[in-house]
Amino acid sequence: MSFDERFDVIVIGAGHAGCEAASAAARMGAQTALVTLNLDLIGQMSCNPAIGGIAKGHIVREIDALGGIMGRIIDRTGIQFRLLNRSRGPAVQAPRAQADRSLYRIEMRHTLEATPNLHLRQGLVIDFLIKDGRVRGVELQDTRRLRADAVIVATGTFLNGLIHTGRRTYTAGRAGEPASIELAESLKRLGFPVGRLKTGTPPRLDGRTIDWDSFEPQPADERPVPFSFSTEAIEQPQVTCYIGYTNEHVHNYIRSNIHESPLYSGQIKGIGPRYCPSIEDKVVKFPDKLRHQLFLEPEGHNTTEVYLNGFSTSMPAELQQELVHKIPGLEEARIIRPGYAIEYDFVDPRELTPFLQTQSVAGLFFAGQINGTTGYEEAACQGLLAGINATLFIRGREGFRLQRTESYIGVLIDDLITHGVDEPYRMFTSRAECRLSLRHDTADIRLSPYGHKLGLLGDSEWNSFNQRRQRIAILRAALESTRFKRSDSIHYSLCQMLQTDLGCTISLAQLAQRPNVDISLILQYLPSELRSNVSLAELGTALADLLYSGYIEAQRHHLERVYHHDNLYIHENFNYRLISGLSHEMVERLERVRPHTFGQARHISGMTPAALSLLLFRLQFQQSA
Amino acid sequence: MRKLLRKDHFSPRANRVSLQTIFDPESGETLDRALITYFQAPHSFTGEDVIEFSCHGSPVLLLRVIDALLLLGARTADPGEFTLRALAHGRINLNQAEAIRDLIDAQTHAAVRQAARQLGGELSARLQPIKNALLDIIVPLESSLEFVEDDLPEITLERISERLSNLIQRLGDLASTFRAGRLLKEGLRIALVGRPNVGKSSVFNRLLASDRAIVTDIPGTTRDSLSELINIQDILILLTDTAGVRTSDNLIEAIGIERTRRAMADADLIILVLDGTQTLTSEDKELLADVRENKYLIALNKSDLEDFALSNAGGLNGAPIMPISAKTGAGFDAFRDAILKPFTATDIQDGCFLITNARHYDLLRRASDALYSAKQLLESRTSEDLILLRLYESLRILGEITGETTPEDVLSQIFATFCIGK
Repeated sequence: MSFDERFDVIVIGAGHAGCEAASAAARMGAQTALVTLNLDLIGQMSCNPAIGGIAKGHIVREIDALGGIMGRIIDRTGIQFRLLNRSRGPAVQAPRAQADRSLYRIEMRHTLEATPNLHLRQGLVIDFLIKDGRVRGVELQDTRRLRADAVIVATGTFLNGLIHTGRRTYTAGRAGEPASIELAESLKRLGFPVGRLKTGTPPRLDGRTIDWDSFEPQPADERPVPFSFSTEAIEQPQVTCYIGYTNEHVHNYIRSNIHESPLYSGQIKGIGPRYCPSIEDKVVKFPDKLRHQLFLEPEGHNTTEVYLNGFSTSMPAELQQELVHKIPGLEEARIIRPGYAIEYDFVDPRELTPFLQTQSVAGLFFAGQINGTTGYEEAACQGLLAGINATLFIRGREGFRLQRTESYIGVLIDDLITHGVDEPYRMFTSRAECRLSLRHDTADIRLSPYGHKLGLLGDSEWNSFNQRRQRIAILRAALESTRFKRSDSIHYSLCQMLQTDLGCTISLAQLAQRPNVDISLILQYLPSELRSNVSLAELGTALADLLYSGYIEAQRHHLERVYHHDNLYIHENFNYRLISGLSHEMVERLERVRPHTFGQARHISGMTPAALSLLLFRLQFQQSA
Repeated sequence: MRKLLRKDHFSPRANRVSLQTIFDPESGETLDRALITYFQAPHSFTGEDVIEFSCHGSPVLLLRVIDALLLLGARTADPGEFTLRALAHGRINLNQAEAIRDLIDAQTHAAVRQAARQLGGELSARLQPIKNALLDIIVPLESSLEFVEDDLPEITLERISERLSNLIQRLGDLASTFRAGRLLKEGLRIALVGRPNVGKSSVFNRLLASDRAIVTDIPGTTRDSLSELINIQDILILLTDTAGVRTSDNLIEAIGIERTRRAMADADLIILVLDGTQTLTSEDKELLADVRENKYLIALNKSDLEDFALSNAGGLNGAPIMPISAKTGAGFDAFRDAILKPFTATDIQDGCFLITNARHYDLLRRASDALYSAKQLLESRTSEDLILLRLYESLRILGEITGETTPEDVLSQIFATFCIGK
């Protein structure tokens, strides 16, 4: 075969997964091509212009801790930062930021262009070049052939994308962009089990036509918490978002026109995400709810376009306009871009190894929505891991994976490859068995050592990580060793202030765990040499470490007891049929997933305790033999 | 099958019984006329295709039929293999498998009834509403954390605390049936004690309705402890006749007395046998002081004799005293009732559900403890993530009986309950 260009790694698609993948591979030293349909839309936020939130914000911080780029870019382009769940336990707090959509794109392209070994190419990939079960490269529509031993597919909603607005349907990857039809066919030809998912987006409004006074302002945090451990300050001017509500008029109008929605006419076959329902779904499934919440989110500093979050719909465009007019405050509002639903192909992720490589074609990796996930953050972290693993693969090195107990990324990939997906998969903190250990502010402690070892974190970042780790350790020690006895005057005044007896002696760490004790109070009593230059965020981290340490220790013991067989390795060619007494159905489940460890086998849905006992028995027998 | 029946076209109808002649595959002689039942998968105990032979009851004949089958390539099942296969095919859950083991072990009718119930997954069924109620607490709490930007109804701590108390109560009620349940399954241990020659062995024999213990009038005849199983109102009782307790320099008797002390320590109930024709001796009083630490009952024996007087046992104010005659059997009906009385506070006879398995009892206790701890955290205004940690722990423990509740199940419940999502 002749090739126009040769690379080590090719990444198809420059969305959130593709950008991370290409950046990681290139920074690890692989000559990397990032092939996209449109160079001007690199890092495009197809849906809402926001990054983070509960669990998703955790993932972004994990990406950053490993040396990914999403955190830094949103920090430079975010126009409204908020730390969610500020009043709740530290484990469920997470940052969220509205982005300036176009700034984010520009910053992403700029970052990629400044990355050595990274080569941007515009074009439509139509086929994989495969020889002897190994990927050799890709073919573009314009007849160019690119050579590489590792190819990462990060095509998002473009694979066989089909847009619905009312009864009108047309093939597209996003509104106004062509779908990837040939590549979808090529995947099917290779025998991958392909399914169909659906997602949707709301209309965007002309901000000049909105009666802003009818809405409740939702300001940005006064002290924004950045995503990246390397960001010192958020410099973008911060904007306000607005909250409003639908009413019964809107709902009735939707109900009487429900037949116009392709979701309810039977036209859409793909399964949509339950946690991101269209307004049609909300009204039909929760008829007793008298109003639904809406968010007006500005798309950027230099545009009047406004994203109507909470109003995702695939109704015909003229009906969307009528519906919008019925919303209090939007009586005069004009739609700039109508909302739509999009159906796209995904591949059953149980086809993947824990390294996101396909089991049937060596060197072929999948990341993002092709694996059935939804969300920029979920996509980005897969891209990062695929980029890392593609590079390790071409070097003949062992793959890199994360455990469920150490990261949300580990939970996500493990869930995907063991359970597959029934609907677009989104991360929730409750999916993690040990969410107390997976705080957003400890992502660096958990993962930066990996990032450094992989070569994704440079020396200066590594140094600042070590300094931060040390500062927090010093704070923890100070919080535990600073104690006030009954004889101290501070003890007396604290008792007076809290109107309670604090016992004979109380440490700052114990004081912090009492109700109604604010972090500023703790700061006030820190030893003076620490107080002068401590960061409130780091003090918060030290306090949270101490708050959870007992629980985490107890949980670790429990997990060790219950899951101490989980790391038992299952050989790739393990023959389940040889286990006497294991039913045909159980054998089939195991053969479909081909778990690498007993822990993965344990998570396969429908596995009976007896079948697992039989398997465990066999594995232990083999080990001892 | 065809070789065994000598029918080349034999094909049994699913889930039907047929009468067939079984032949020895080697000699060709007729072995038996037997009923053949074909249970077609999945309608069998194990969930697989099963053929059952119902032969005539001669052990020799049965062995020959088994030999014939082995000759044709079958193998004998390992102990418990059918249950394991049923478990592996999901025909029964772990809970039911344990009940089958209990069923096999059960020795009395009441225990059989109890085992039969758990086989039907009744414990699972009873725990299911408790588990659902727990999910109803978890769902709004979890939603308030995960979907902070959604417009969810407010939850009040008081309401959650009230619901938790209710669940703790329900789990506690179920767990409290364990003592009676265990009694049913494992039976009671009862020790007969008394100084020598008050007639312990006669009482033992009368309860046994046989002449198991050697009775003489020589004090100290029973040198070792004798134990027998008896059955009072379907409750299995391990009755131990002990050596009479007295100070003795005879070594064998001393060993017997040591065993008596041990039997007393193990017993669920001690029956102190006194001689109703005599006033209390210092040995009687010593024994009385010993047994008072346990559940005990006094049998005032020899009511058939003239010298017998209830007042002879005077000064035992409040102690349960049953006048009996081991010789004539007088007073034994009331005596038998009195033996069971301390254990029937939770009425075993009314057919209510009882926990009989120590593992289940332990799980219920732990599930309830976790809820209690959640309630305390809630009341001290601890953050929701820590409260949920305890609630999930309880859910997981209940899941060991009812089957696992996955995070996906919880999420589904959330999405079914609340309108979530932008």
